[in-house]
Amino acid sequence: MTGIGLFAGHQYQIAFVLLVGVGLYTMIDAKNLVKKVIGLNIFQVGLFLFLVSSGYLAGAGPAIIDGEGRYVNPLPHVLILTAIVVGVSLTALALALIIRVYDEYGTLDEEHIQEVMDGD
Amino acid sequence: MTVALELALVVFVVSTAVATAVLRDIVASIAVFAAFSLGISVIWLVLQAPDVALTEAAVGAGIMSVLLLVTVAKTARASDEGALVSVNPRALAAVGLLLLVLVSTVPALPEVGSEEAPALQKTVDGELTPYGYYVEEAYNETGVENSVTAVLVYYRGFDTFGEATVVFSAVVGVLVALGGSRRWGEE
Repeated sequence: MTGIGLFAGHQYQIAFVLLVGVGLYTMIDAKNLVKKVIGLNIFQVGLFLFLVSSGYLAGAGPAIIDGEGRYVNPLPHVLILTAIVVGVSLTALALALIIRVYDEYGTLDEEHIQEVMDGD
Repeated sequence: MTVALELALVVFVVSTAVATAVLRDIVASIAVFAAFSLGISVIWLVLQAPDVALTEAAVGAGIMSVLLLVTVAKTARASDEGALVSVNPRALAAVGLLLLVLVSTVPALPEVGSEEAPALQKTVDGELTPYGYYVEEAYNETGVENSVTAVLVYYRGFDTFGEATVVFSAVVGVLVALGGSRRWGEE
């Protein structure tokens, strides 16, 4: 019971750890290149969750200022907005390169690509 | 009530992420990934980040799924045997080791939502922190009610400029990469 109590109030940080793990595992293990890109995105979202939750204040409103009040920290939101757009740019570029790889090798499977390269 | 909702969302997001990883069919993976993005954007709402939630729903669940599906349509939908991928014990061990290290640091972090968190101190040694400044002074200085917009455009405008540069570079990169593509050009 104390083991669980140690993690009370940390549910988002636990989710961050798990998402980073799932994303990393997908990037290492997935044979399909498109799947690796999805893994990269899951990894990113895990980090976003860690940063946004660090600026969260229980019972506070969003950082829209109207007089005195309690607000969450707007800075992580700003950084994550930028990071989401950069992440999409990165994904678009990676997918364009994957289409080129398919043109050259006729497969998206990591091991088949290696076989084709060795066969040349 | 709120705690139950938070836990339900966290469980939903983590399980859709795991499903994305273990499904072998790439189109099924992409569909579950879209559900994952939607779950995450609800979490942003719960964390009082409506701007991030809107961007995530439009970009993460919308544009990203379209990009991934277009890529699959232009390439191949591998249909190997079995619905689930087999577990790679070495990758699992490596990731498990990292997770063990990360989880052991979690109890030392400030609780999410607590007023004691370092990111939520308005002053340190009598001086305003960035958080204190954005909440206390940003409206008087910029006249923008939404302090996320105020910070994005007014205080950290160079970040946004850098972001625009990254998007431009990515578009140039995509055009260069697909410019020599036979399949893409002939249609």
